[in-house]
Amino acid sequence: MSLIEVEGLSLFYGNFQALKDITLGIEERRITALIGPSGCGKSTFLRCLNRMNDLIEGVRLTGRVTIDGEDINRPETDLLRLRKKVGMVFQRANPFPLSVQDNVIFGLRVHGLTDREMVDKRLRRSLESVWLWDELKDKLRVNALELSGEQQQRLCIARLVALEPEVLLMDEPCSALDPLATERIEQLMFELKERYTIVIVTHNMHQAARVSEAAGYFLMGELVEFGETGQVFSSPRDRRTEDYITGRYG
Amino acid sequence: MHRHFDEELTELKKQLLTMGSLTEEAIAQAVEALKRLEAEAARRIIEEDSRIDRLDLDIDEKCLELIIRHQPVAADLRFLAMAMRICASLERIADLAVDICQRVVEMAGQPLLKPLIDIPKLVGLARGMLRDSLDGFVRSDVAPARSVIKRDDEADRLRDLIQTELVTDFMMKDAATAPRAVALLLVSRHLERICDHTTNIAEDVIYMVEGAMVRHSPDM
Repeated sequence: MSLIEVEGLSLFYGNFQALKDITLGIEERRITALIGPSGCGKSTFLRCLNRMNDLIEGVRLTGRVTIDGEDINRPETDLLRLRKKVGMVFQRANPFPLSVQDNVIFGLRVHGLTDREMVDKRLRRSLESVWLWDELKDKLRVNALELSGEQQQRLCIARLVALEPEVLLMDEPCSALDPLATERIEQLMFELKERYTIVIVTHNMHQAARVSEAAGYFLMGELVEFGETGQVFSSPRDRRTEDYITGRYG
Repeated sequence: MHRHFDEELTELKKQLLTMGSLTEEAIAQAVEALKRLEAEAARRIIEEDSRIDRLDLDIDEKCLELIIRHQPVAADLRFLAMAMRICASLERIADLAVDICQRVVEMAGQPLLKPLIDIPKLVGLARGMLRDSLDGFVRSDVAPARSVIKRDDEADRLRDLIQTELVTDFMMKDAATAPRAVALLLVSRHLERICDHTTNIAEDVIYMVEGAMVRHSPDM
C-alpha cells in the first residue's frame, strides 16, 4: 500500500467540478511531480492532501484520501496534527516578519514544545537540513524578510522540517526563483526525499523530469496519466500527455 | 500548434535519408566491384566513404544541438535519440562496404575462386533489409521494421552456407585456394554484419514509433 492513497476523489467549487474521480497512490520517500496547464486542478489536488481546501467556502468533496491508512477527511481528524504531518511550501516564500530563529521554532511553540535544549537542537537540525545553518548561524536574530528569496524559501522548508513531518507538499516552489536558486532548491529536494515524501506541483516540465520519480499529468480536472517519470517523459501512454509535454498543446 | 522545432526535425530526417541512400549505394557499388574484381572502382568507393563520415558528424552535431536547444521529451526525444543511433549504424554499414572493397583490392588480378551464387543472395537480402528499415523510419511504420528483424536469421543461414562451402570445397581440398577463399569468407561476414546493423536500425525504429525497447528480446 502507498503512503498516500487517493480513491475516486472529486472536488466541486459550488457547481464547478475541479477534480474528476482521481485515483492514485503516492509512494513513501519519493518525489512525485504533478504537471498540467493552468487551471487543470493540480494545485487543488495538492491542497486535498492536507485539507487546505477546507479554508475555501463552498467546497464539496467526494472520494477518499488516506495517509498512513488514515482517512484524513473524517470529521474527527485533528487538522493541526494533519498539517504538522503534511506540510506545505508555497510559490512565494512566506516567512513570518520575525527573526530567522523565531520563524523556525514558531511551529514548535504552537505545538507546545518549550524545552529549551530540545528547541535549540531542532532549530539547528532544521537549518542544517536546508543548508542554512552555516550561512545564518551568526544571524539567527536577523529578520527573515532580509534574506534572499531563495534563502526565504529554504527557511520556510526549515520551518516545516522542524515539525518533523512525513510529507512535504510543494506548490511551484521555484517559480519565483532564478535558475541558480532553483538548482539549489532542487538539490535540496533530493536530500530531503531521503526522509520525507515530496509532492511537487510545477509548471516547469523539465523540472518535473529532473527531480521526480513519479509524475502525473492533469487536464481539466482529470488525471490523464500517472506513472514512473522516465516512462511519462519518454513514452507517454496518452496522446494528451504527449501533446502537452512536447509543446503541441493549445 | 505549429512548431519551428518540427521543421528542424524534418530537415534532420532528410539528412539521415541522404546518408541512408549513400550507404545503400556504397553497398551496391562494392558488390559490383566484387563481381568484376575491379580494384580501381573499389578504391573510388573507399575514398567516397569520407562523405558518409562527414554526414555522420553533421547529423550527430545537429542532434546534440536540438537536444540542447529544445530539451525534447516523448516522441521528439525518442526520434532524436534514435536518429543518433541510426546514424551510427549507417556509418558502420558504410565502413563494412569499405571492408568489402578492401577484399576486392586484395583479390584483384586473380580469377574469382568460384562463380558468386549465395553472396549475391546475401547482398540482395542486406540491401532489402536496409531499404525496409529506412522505409520504416521515414514513414514511422513498424511493419517493415518488424519484417527486417525476422529476416536476420536468413542472413546468418546464408553466411554459414557460404562459409561451409568455402572451407570444405576449397580450403580443405586445396590449401593454395586459401587466400582467395578467406577473402570471400570475410566478404560473407561483412555482409552478414551489414544485416545485423540494419536489424539494429529496425529495432530503433520500433522504439522511436512505439516507445517499446525490442533490443535483446528474442520474441520482439
